[in-house]
Amino acid sequence: MTGAVQTKSTTIRSRTSDLLSRSGLLIALVLLFVALALFAPNFLTSRNLLNVLRAVAFNGIIACGMTFMIIAGDIDVSVGSAVAWASSLLGVLAIQHHWPLVLAVAFVLLQGALIHAGAGYIRVRWSVPAFVVTLALFMALRGAARLITNAFPITPFPDSFNFWGGGYILEVIPVPVVIMAVVFLLFHFISVRTVYGRSVYAVGGNEESARLSGISVWRTRIVTFALLGFLSAFSGIILSSRIMSGSSNIAVGLEFDVIAAVIIGGTSLMGGEGTIFGTFLGVLFIGLLSNGMVLMGINPFAQEVIRGLIILVAVLISVTRTRN
Amino acid sequence: MTAVLEASHLHKYYPGVTALDDVDFTLQAGDVRALLGKNGAGKSTLVKILSGAVLPDQGEIRIDGQEVTIKSPHDSFLQGISTVYQEMSLVPGLTVAENILLGRWPTSKRLGVSFIDRKEILRIAREALGQLEVDIDLNQLASRLNVAQQQLVEIAKAISFDPRVMILDEPSSALPSEEVDTLHRVVRRLAEQGRAIVYVTHRLQEIPKVADSVTVLRDGKVIGTIPVAEATPERITQMMIGSDWQRTQWQRDAELGPVKLEVRNLNRAGLLHDISLELRGGEVLGLAGLLGSGRTELLRSIFGVDPIDSGEIIVGGVALNNPSPSAMKARGLGLTPEDRKQQGLVLVFPVEDNLTLASLRRVSARGVLNPGKERELAEAMVEDLQIKTASLAVKTRTLSGGNQQKVVIGNWLNTLPEVLMMDEPTRGIDIQAKEQIFALVRDLARQGLAVLFVSSEIEEVLDVSDRILVINQGRITHSRQHDEVNLEQLMALVMEEINL
Repeated sequence: MTGAVQTKSTTIRSRTSDLLSRSGLLIALVLLFVALALFAPNFLTSRNLLNVLRAVAFNGIIACGMTFMIIAGDIDVSVGSAVAWASSLLGVLAIQHHWPLVLAVAFVLLQGALIHAGAGYIRVRWSVPAFVVTLALFMALRGAARLITNAFPITPFPDSFNFWGGGYILEVIPVPVVIMAVVFLLFHFISVRTVYGRSVYAVGGNEESARLSGISVWRTRIVTFALLGFLSAFSGIILSSRIMSGSSNIAVGLEFDVIAAVIIGGTSLMGGEGTIFGTFLGVLFIGLLSNGMVLMGINPFAQEVIRGLIILVAVLISVTRTRN
Repeated sequence: MTAVLEASHLHKYYPGVTALDDVDFTLQAGDVRALLGKNGAGKSTLVKILSGAVLPDQGEIRIDGQEVTIKSPHDSFLQGISTVYQEMSLVPGLTVAENILLGRWPTSKRLGVSFIDRKEILRIAREALGQLEVDIDLNQLASRLNVAQQQLVEIAKAISFDPRVMILDEPSSALPSEEVDTLHRVVRRLAEQGRAIVYVTHRLQEIPKVADSVTVLRDGKVIGTIPVAEATPERITQMMIGSDWQRTQWQRDAELGPVKLEVRNLNRAGLLHDISLELRGGEVLGLAGLLGSGRTELLRSIFGVDPIDSGEIIVGGVALNNPSPSAMKARGLGLTPEDRKQQGLVLVFPVEDNLTLASLRRVSARGVLNPGKERELAEAMVEDLQIKTASLAVKTRTLSGGNQQKVVIGNWLNTLPEVLMMDEPTRGIDIQAKEQIFALVRDLARQGLAVLFVSSEIEEVLDVSDRILVINQGRITHSRQHDEVNLEQLMALVMEEINL
């Protein structure tokens, strides 16, 4: 038994790849928390903190898939559009076409995975950079969402649907927060304990070595795309439940918040290194920062500047760490 | 008459190795000097010192009698030394003329703005190519040139600096034989213009056609410089090998097993021609050939890394139609690739993960890894192969070359292969690690593994193999049993010129 425990902790330690940067981010997170508790009015209330968690849940779910994508050495800029498309499609199917809600949800999830798997196929089949393929998706999916909705929100969903995005467990914990926690735990497990997860690291760390070791690079990449597409659609459905409409205008720029969270969480842009736990910290960091800046009444345009600078610093830390 | 180039008492030390030991090297104007030696004899160190890529630890260099200091490739240019390396450095998206003048494009000022002067580029480039008397379209993109044309453009680029000394590093190794004649003509012409030329080569047969004299290096020392008339292949081979090399004696103590791998009439356009071979359990089959002979290509084709045009690969009696690394692995084949960092390892992975990279299926059930099993396999390999590492959790990047190589081998042994193909397993590792790897190969063979062994070091192939195939220009040209051939004979077979 002790042997197994030791092994697991070693694996986690090695995956962590850099205790220093991890603790660096933890320290930054604590400092941010203390600063906001001192200077941001109403920050340190359970109501506000739970709101922060709920606000980050939609990004957090997607960030799990994005972490795999970046560890594999790819990147996906289409997830915001994929969220809007999923939301619009759900509205059109469930409300305008009167599909049973369960069926509509299942269909939206499935098509999300398939469209992204298709993008992944194009990525590997023609060796196109993932950035370019997903840039095309970024435009096409947003356009398609507006096309089928005429850019108007589609309402109403049945009241019971609101539970997933707006409900509470035990009357205090927002449902999306619970969902996010489950997704993070699941993806943590996939990343450290499955053959697929290890393959993602291998493909991103050195694609040629992975291929010559008999790992299927194609399958690994396509599955990674499909998972991210699935999670984007999933997040889009919960978001629809939260706002109780199918909308083509949501999640604008979401991809960059998600990517930023993953990078701040210590995942290497060179591929091969990164952790789901780090991403969780990154998501929290961005969520707390945004919340605090709002509470402190900082000019929204200045908020964007600050977030940009923080991402820049995170990237610089990540790059210098890789070079050493 | 003073020598154009006079290097004297050059010394260069690397940790644990004396790369150059008191080397003198003198060249007269108009001389073409062939520079020969085995891998590690010091040829490339000498070339690197003259071209400014590394600094000598001791010694001096004179150009036209003047002592010079060469601290960088730029210094080397300024002193009139131009080097054409084996690796092509042309920019594919630029034209031939633009490449010849890369980074030094003449400009003309109009309205205060510098414009590239295309006419002047063409004029200078035409002049440089004209000196070679070859016909290449100056406006052609470099990406559309064949290897021979690229080589000539590289030479033209070197000439455009009007160097006193030109160093050509294995210029013929990548060329098809019909193009080699053009190269020789060009080199002779450059010498007639009064330049001194260093011509690094492995091909003994081309020496009389191109060189005036031959310098042979061995173990970092100059063994001798002889005029070309005396440079018979036998004499040169003898100079390259010396007499101090002792063959390791070992006894085969088991019968060979059944045929594990069979290749029939394998072809790959331009690279591999009609290759057939058979490999039995318990047998070490060595593949001896020069760089570019098709050694690596053959292993990669068998393993399904590169596609083949025709031929059959039969593993354990079953022909495989669609070889891929994962299919081959499933059939019990393994390949330790020639470049461990780029092709064998994920350097950012902990040692443990690299030791199970190819055997994830073995350490998992239904896609879920079993960390205990993983640890067990990794630990056993560290012990068996004597891999020196602080722990299984350190990044593989931090290990020495020899230990990294052992990790690559361990990774494949963990797949429990029946056939292991090893491409240059001893490249760039220390003597002790080399010897451990040889002992390991023999030991694995004793346990029934079939090994296909490739090395640039012909001694190593001879030492470790039960049987040796000579590969030359993509063809198997000879087959010899371990006790049928000595080093000089094998060297001669490997360097033999074949007429196609």
